[in-house]
Amino acid sequence: MRITVTRTGGFGGLTRRATLRTDGRPDAAELAALARSALAEGRAEPSTGVPDGFHYEIETDDGTTYCADPRLTEAQSALIGKVFREGGTDRG
Amino acid sequence: MTLCHVPYMNAHSAHTCCPRSVNVVFCTIVPPHLLDHLSRSGDPALYEPARRTLERDALQRTRRRITTVRMAAGTGAGPAAEETAGEPAEKKPRRTIFDAGQSEQLPGEKVRSEGEEPVDDASVNRAYAGLGATFDLYLSVFSRYSIDDAGMPLDATVHYGRDYGNAFWDGERMVFGDGDGEVFRDFTLPVDVIGHELTHGVTQHTANLAYFGQSGALNESLSDVFGSLIKQYGLGQTADAADWLIGDTLFTDRVEGTALRSMKAPGTAYDDDVLGKDPQPATMEDYVHTGSDNGGVHINSGIPNHAFYRLATELGGHAWERAGQIWYDTLTSGSLSPDADFAAFAGATVAAAAGRYGEGGAEQEAVLKSWSLVGVTPADA
Ligand SMILES: [Zn+2]
Repeated sequence: MRITVTRTGGFGGLTRRATLRTDGRPDAAELAALARSALAEGRAEPSTGVPDGFHYEIETDDGTTYCADPRLTEAQSALIGKVFREGGTDRG
Repeated sequence: MTLCHVPYMNAHSAHTCCPRSVNVVFCTIVPPHLLDHLSRSGDPALYEPARRTLERDALQRTRRRITTVRMAAGTGAGPAAEETAGEPAEKKPRRTIFDAGQSEQLPGEKVRSEGEEPVDDASVNRAYAGLGATFDLYLSVFSRYSIDDAGMPLDATVHYGRDYGNAFWDGERMVFGDGDGEVFRDFTLPVDVIGHELTHGVTQHTANLAYFGQSGALNESLSDVFGSLIKQYGLGQTADAADWLIGDTLFTDRVEGTALRSMKAPGTAYDDDVLGKDPQPATMEDYVHTGSDNGGVHINSGIPNHAFYRLATELGGHAWERAGQIWYDTLTSGSLSPDADFAAFAGATVAAAAGRYGEGGAEQEAVLKSWSLVGVTPADA
């Protein structure tokens, strides 16, 4: 599975995007479970969020979801952290 | 997966490259001995702000002494008796700093309350001092008593999240991350960032500008304007001496840039191979239409930011005096609707200038000129 996180907004208004491919990873099942939870707990549309808060778009094979700081669920936060730390950056 | 890590990108294409040196300016309060020296200088640009700052400090010391005396005298009667006697309580900040310990749990653990001694954690002390400086500007210059003008407590959380390169206002408190170690340093470092976040609270309690599109860019710009004024006020700078940069100590040494934004020259704050080029426009001609970042609230804020810079430099002197007063009057006038666009806001500033300094006066003329320079036609207020 391919998981892409796009982060926008924040104090700097900068965009950051990264993609993690789970195929062949020992934690593939765990990541897939995180992604399912993150999707189930997210919103169908982006929200206005809070001033200077980050906005996230999470795309997986199962669909796209939106969430924003500071109200991420544990699964969303864990997944976003994992994709940014271990994923590869693409330029859209 | 690739190990090549280029984490940031900019939605806007990089333009011609003009590398800028990293220019770190620490916004600490100027030490009294230096102020004293400057106040005796022959150059008005130097001695005026220094004298003014010294005078303000002396005034505050007097005020503190009076408070102490008043409090001591009042101990027998108790605070209730003091209030019923019609003596207004001294307007002082009520700050509380919390530590999230790199978690995303708010508010976190309470680590420093109002009046307590500094702690070992520099982020905590910077947040505490920055909130104090912001409270001081609003009270001393605009007679505003905290965020809601009714003495609202000032709460901030530091050490939010893991590698968190951001700060935000969550509707009740300011939240600061430690930086991501790659691009951003600790967000409590620049005092203008602290003032920026607190001003989001002031806007929420006044014009309540919707955080999307042009009203959102105005909301952002007001935070940059008052954030910058807090820094200038602390340094005793005149408009032409100020750097008009936002977040000038935030970038790590790896970034080719001086700050996140420049009110003096929007679009020139950074030009970096990882971050891209500062996308801020200075005029309506370069307004950026985007769905990202709530419709580019941190991008198009460059236009009202630059209008304020133009006004402040046109009027000269301290930006928080006339220019800041006009912007503050506009924010608090009650005439702005939450979905105000640039033209409506500009119209309200023209009315505010006329209201405070007279119809057709130099201030109103300067306001009209600065909006004209950024390509905004003020609507009839
Ligand atoms: Zn902001």
